Amino acid sequence: MPAAQPLYRIEGLTKTYGEGDTAVQALRGVELDIPQSAMVVLLGPSGSGKSTFLNIVGGLDQATSGHVHFEDVELTGLTDHGLTEYRRHHVGFVFQFYNLVASLTARENVALITEIADEPMEPAEALALVGLEARIDHFPTQLSGGEQQRVAIARAIAKRPKVLLCDEPTGALDSQTGVRVLEALDAVNRELGTTTLLITHNAVIAEMADHVLRFADGQLASSSPNPKRRHPGDMTW
Amino acid sequence: MVIDLSPLDRKVLRDLWRMRSQAFAIALVIAAGVGMVVMSVGMMRSLDATREAYYDRYRFADIFAPAKRAPKNVLDEIKNLPGVGPVEGRITAGATLDIAGIAEPITTRIHSIPMAREPRLNALVLRSGRWPDPARPDEVLASEKFAEAARIGPGDGVDALLYGKRQHLRVVGTVLSPEYIYAIGPGQIFPDNRRFGVLWMGEEHLAASLDLTDSFNEALVRIDRSADATDVIRRLDSLLARYGGAGAYRRSEQISDRYVTNELAELQTMTRILPPIFLGVAAFLINMVLSRLIDAEHEVIGLLMAFGYRGNAIMLHYAKIAVALSVPGLGLGILLGSLLGRGIASIYQEFFVFPFLTYRAGLDAYALACTVTLVVVLLGVFQSVRRVRRMTPVEAMRPPLPPDYAGGVARLIGKMRILDEPTRIILRGILRRPFRSGLGALGVAAALGLYITSAGSRDNVAKLIEILFDQSNRADVMVTFAEPRDQRALFELQRAPGVWRVEPIRTIGAKLTGNRRSKSEGLTTASAGSDLNRVVDIDGAIIDPPARGVLVSEGLSNELGVTRGDTIEVQVTEGNRARFSLLVADTIESAVGSPAYVDDAMIAAQLHQVPLLSGAYLGVDVARVDELCRYLKAVPIVAGVSLRAASRNGIEATIGETLGIVTLFNTGFSALIVFGVIYNNARISLAERSRDLASLRVLGYRRSEVSYILLGELAIISIIGLPVGVVLGYFISHYISSVLGGDLFTVPFGLTQATVAQAVLMVLLAAAITALFVRRRLDRLDLVAVLKSWD
Repeated sequence: MPAAQPLYRIEGLTKTYGEGDTAVQALRGVELDIPQSAMVVLLGPSGSGKSTFLNIVGGLDQATSGHVHFEDVELTGLTDHGLTEYRRHHVGFVFQFYNLVASLTARENVALITEIADEPMEPAEALALVGLEARIDHFPTQLSGGEQQRVAIARAIAKRPKVLLCDEPTGALDSQTGVRVLEALDAVNRELGTTTLLITHNAVIAEMADHVLRFADGQLASSSPNPKRRHPGDMTW
Repeated sequence: MVIDLSPLDRKVLRDLWRMRSQAFAIALVIAAGVGMVVMSVGMMRSLDATREAYYDRYRFADIFAPAKRAPKNVLDEIKNLPGVGPVEGRITAGATLDIAGIAEPITTRIHSIPMAREPRLNALVLRSGRWPDPARPDEVLASEKFAEAARIGPGDGVDALLYGKRQHLRVVGTVLSPEYIYAIGPGQIFPDNRRFGVLWMGEEHLAASLDLTDSFNEALVRIDRSADATDVIRRLDSLLARYGGAGAYRRSEQISDRYVTNELAELQTMTRILPPIFLGVAAFLINMVLSRLIDAEHEVIGLLMAFGYRGNAIMLHYAKIAVALSVPGLGLGILLGSLLGRGIASIYQEFFVFPFLTYRAGLDAYALACTVTLVVVLLGVFQSVRRVRRMTPVEAMRPPLPPDYAGGVARLIGKMRILDEPTRIILRGILRRPFRSGLGALGVAAALGLYITSAGSRDNVAKLIEILFDQSNRADVMVTFAEPRDQRALFELQRAPGVWRVEPIRTIGAKLTGNRRSKSEGLTTASAGSDLNRVVDIDGAIIDPPARGVLVSEGLSNELGVTRGDTIEVQVTEGNRARFSLLVADTIESAVGSPAYVDDAMIAAQLHQVPLLSGAYLGVDVARVDELCRYLKAVPIVAGVSLRAASRNGIEATIGETLGIVTLFNTGFSALIVFGVIYNNARISLAERSRDLASLRVLGYRRSEVSYILLGELAIISIIGLPVGVVLGYFISHYISSVLGGDLFTVPFGLTQATVAQAVLMVLLAAAITALFVRRRLDRLDLVAVLKSWD
């Protein structure tokens, strides 16, 4: 990956869960740079460490050793408070199971983020970006899975984050709905230039990436550029 | 108007709406805790204030100074004593009344009232009829309670036996007096309004009947605020000594005031101990409920953390939910507490017959109750949110880790072939979180303990009555004499119709001096062969009087500062005024009063004469009681007759009513808490388990099988709580009975199995009702939702 002006610089990153005999090494020394505005897809089997990697990069979890630099800041040196501020200002999350707050409408779920952001979009604008302007006042239970995931994407991008982290965003969706969700992510990446890291089990999705990272056994097995980035609408699985 | 709420505030509102039925249960528990405090404080303050105002407005005397006969000009000398304010001289006499419809003669006290003016002290409240006409010597006023109990009213005539002369009197009005909030006749230990009457008669007419013209036999004295009552009493005693002064005493020794004080003190004890326990239990339960609610929200908290919400903002969010959950309970508690406090105070007003009620609520009590509740609630929020915040957002958002079932007990459960899978789920669920399960059981235990304590105060009263009437005083009829009589009176009574046994009542008026101080307290005689009246201690054990020395009640021994082996100086204040010392042979915890018992034969030897009788206990053929009463009506020496059965009813009504009202409401509040606790336990378990349970339904479990898992856990936790609650209730009950009671009564501990059983049934009932509610919720589990999200 190009070394010039990376958004993230990751050095010797390890993560161990538990202690002694029961210790599980989730990451074993990952070295990596991630450029600005890239669409990065992370592939790998369950337990390969990609979710752990994403969580640490997203400031949701602490590394056991190694360094993660975000621009000029070393995330691995931040306190809980520092990580909170980092997430608050720079990171958007999209989860496999949407994690919408059930008692809030689509608009309100997005507003949950715009409330605490510096220069957010209007919730309606964010929802329009994912094609949900018509479902704005619906509660999560009134939305389909794909719609819920798009609300989650709108919620993630509404604060104009520098980076968008998506853990299996289409994992719970059928392919047609999945494509619509990926289209939304693609549009955000292209139009807003938001660096996007996307975890998936589905190798086809790697075709929409600028870079593809393959994880295996807690290590980065390969990092390859994708010269022919495809539009999600052209992909099928 | 559109209110622009932030999304988190909307979440607050919608969460509250979602939790509304649970919020209702929480509100009930808080309302019970706060309501108890507000009710009790309001009631107590109102009663105290009312009594004070009553005494003040109707100029209740500070000191009472009885004498045999003193000329009226002595009143001027009394007035000139330092520290003395208004003084009133009056005549007080004993009489018996013969009223149609009442078999036994009625012991009556008659006081004189000035005809030309208002009494300076101990003024009367006219309740019906009119004041007596100064020109009509036969017109009298009757105390209202007596008039009601004896069914007489203005216009009715009564026959009185006054100073050996029969007189026909006409009641023209009924009155209340601060002196007779409780009217207790000679020889009685409880008020019995049907058998003890109080009349007020024009001064000149009463004086003429008693041959006391221009004299008085009782001085009422009011003293200045700064005056030293002891000094005034000493001067009064020396001033009245030559007029047959029987010893002045202060208001606090006046029998009615003592009873009222004692009653109020008992209420005060009940209201000082129980409400804080209630509030404490309520706060503890709310704290527990909120902690579990917040724990259940850990994913949302994790999410908010992931979004970069700061700790304070998250804390504030849950604090808002907690406060919003508390406010209805606080409001309801204050409303209910104020209404009930006022209501109960007015019930007591009627019971004591105060002419008015001065209601005092007390903002400070409200504020204190609310503050305590809110602090405990917010503390719960703070602890819980902090616990979640200590996790990383990833940990917080993750569904709870599959519990570690590697432990020995869990393995043991696995090996028990007899258990089916759902039962294993229940048992492991409880064992996985022993602390939480323990708290749940403790909640049930605390609620049960409160219920037992509240309902158990009735048992203590029943035990007291049993000791008094089944163990101690077993005479069918007790006769009091107008004046002390010698042994011959016993033989006369022996011949009365229906009498099969007679035992003497002898009380020797004396002043006892111990190591610490002196007290006027009669020596009560007893003999080992007594059957009708026995010396019985608080546990109901029969104790023979000592052959030598004196058996001293613990109350008296504390006052005098003596213990077993010490000596007491006795100054007899009647007859030959002998002076001697007695060894304290033993002490006894006595249910009523603070008596000192001496052996009949021993004291006769000590006094060199057989002491006179103040009355007699009679064993009577039950069928001939009425005949005996008619006979006694014609015996001039008999000043009063009291029937055991009637006294017993009277006491049951008296103590039963005062404590009964408070007990009723305490029991009601504890029932609320019992229900609130169990319902909340169930609802939280449901919330925590709904995902698992829905998954089981997806896998093909039937509704009843799923219900079994949840309700089984609930049942086990409740059942664990039961024995703990019984023990808790036993100890709180025991404690309360040990601090209840003043110098008049000691309350025994009488908690019965029936009460405990009733309390346990109450818990089981609450659990059953809760199970019905929860079962309905289980039937509506959302099965699709569980498929849509994690695991």
